[in-house]
Amino acid sequence: MTAIRAETVSKRYGTLTALDRVDLTVEEGEIFGFLGPNGAGKSTMINVFLDFVRPTEGTIEIFGHDCQAESVAARKRMGVLPEGYDVYDRLTARQHILFAMESKDAGGEPMEILERVGIAEAADRKAGGFSKGMAQRLVLGMALVGEPDLLILDEPTSGLDPNGAVAMREIIRQENERGATVFFSSHILEQVEAVCDRVGILHEGELAAIDTIDGLRSSVGGGTKLQISVDEVDRIDVSTIETIPGVESAWLDPDASEVVVTCSNDAKMDVLVGLDDAGVDVLNFETEEPSLEDLFVEYTGGRT
Amino acid sequence: MAWQTIAKKDARAVLDSQLFRYFLGFVAFAFVVGGYLLPNVVETPAPSDFPGYMSEAVTLLVPLLGLLLGYKAIVGERASGRLGLLLSLPHSRRDVVLGKFVGRGGLLALAISAGIVTGSWLVYYPYGSFDPLDFLAYLVVTLCFGLAFVGIALAISTLTTSEHVATAATFGTFFVMVVVWPELRPLLALALEQIGLANGGLPDWALLLHGLTPGMSYERALTGLFTADPAGAYFGPDAAWYLGTAPALGLLFAWAVLPITIGYLRFQSTDL
Repeated sequence: MTAIRAETVSKRYGTLTALDRVDLTVEEGEIFGFLGPNGAGKSTMINVFLDFVRPTEGTIEIFGHDCQAESVAARKRMGVLPEGYDVYDRLTARQHILFAMESKDAGGEPMEILERVGIAEAADRKAGGFSKGMAQRLVLGMALVGEPDLLILDEPTSGLDPNGAVAMREIIRQENERGATVFFSSHILEQVEAVCDRVGILHEGELAAIDTIDGLRSSVGGGTKLQISVDEVDRIDVSTIETIPGVESAWLDPDASEVVVTCSNDAKMDVLVGLDDAGVDVLNFETEEPSLEDLFVEYTGGRT
Repeated sequence: MAWQTIAKKDARAVLDSQLFRYFLGFVAFAFVVGGYLLPNVVETPAPSDFPGYMSEAVTLLVPLLGLLLGYKAIVGERASGRLGLLLSLPHSRRDVVLGKFVGRGGLLALAISAGIVTGSWLVYYPYGSFDPLDFLAYLVVTLCFGLAFVGIALAISTLTTSEHVATAATFGTFFVMVVVWPELRPLLALALEQIGLANGGLPDWALLLHGLTPGMSYERALTGLFTADPAGAYFGPDAAWYLGTAPALGLLFAWAVLPITIGYLRFQSTDL
């Protein structure tokens, strides 16, 4: 079953285009990372899921429920950590969770949830005095109420300290193992890289890329870069190396006495063996994988 | 039903505010004071004396409290982001508007009811008489009047995303509708006379126009219901049919229902 199906979703405010014909499908059980710089339209997209924002064109279905026409039915399947929320100052953490339980018609023990998100000790304190990080944990707790089939998390680690960010990832994994689909947006690459099955990169309202992390990697610069230190760089024939299957290109760096090869991940050993066969002594080698940072720049900054 | 969850939580939130607790208590207390004082000015007080005696205080206090209760209910949560949190849960926007109307209007209704019940009892005891029909009519009409202002305020609250605009609009509504409007009749008569549309008193259509506000409708309904022999431009044998008691009751009911409905429809169709 498809958890999220978005078809040609656009949102225009006058002349400003916040979303431009975004097509997106997230299958049940996936952890999907929605990546993009601030202002790319990530929150607008999530707000369309929640029926806060009505798209200018296109439709979105959550588990087959149209987000506009059957918004409540769609939101019944979701647990949401929205963007730019505020908590109820006068309600305690426990009351917040109870309210979410009552709203979702779900049972459960509030303390269990508060323990999971790490604010059990503040259960009976009024949320008005909470730090940003505590409020974030509290609202995540509200999202977890009722074991939702789809978790929608808008910039879930903003306001969290590094420990909180690790805990958030842990919760995302646990929820996914339970069977929940997770859709979360972030402008921070490592977070997406650490947990996501698939990533969509949004840039200026357009979906610039959508693939697995490895898939994105291999689509940029051919994958791995090998830097091999050899004893006699002059004896190497670059064209021979380039005949090895999987190798994209090779060139010499005489100053560093290195040969540099870009190749697919699997071809690394073949290159080293090939050099050895040619009678070249390999002294040392380093591999360098393109970071998501590179991908990100490629898809957002580089495309003008 | 989700609106009940919202109504309950909202009522609790209102009662958490000391200002609102005092104000709600004050409105109830005003009826009690009126019920206590009335037997001192009327020899054999009847339930039908109570509404007229209270009407000046009621037409000032109830609109003020009704507007205060409602005007920030939605725009405040919208500006702060609490509305986003609320609507990320499976509540519809109708649940939100209805829940807030019931929660806040319910509190005002409770205060008015407590006041009228206690006040009426003081009117009855020890020298007065009691007429259950008069008592009930007064209660229902006054509740309707109160809910009209909660509804107007909530409508304002749904129509704008700016708290400043909501505050200004609410203040303006109170000033124009409650403070200034009832005093406008002589001015209106003068103006109509100047342009040759009236001669002496106001024509019927102008009376209807001037009597459209919830306050004017409320007072007219009270006069029609509780005065033995209602007189004045709106009553009497020569008055047009649309100026009487029943249309006034209809207007009051419309005020309680229409603004909030329009506010909801608009709220339903906009982005948050």
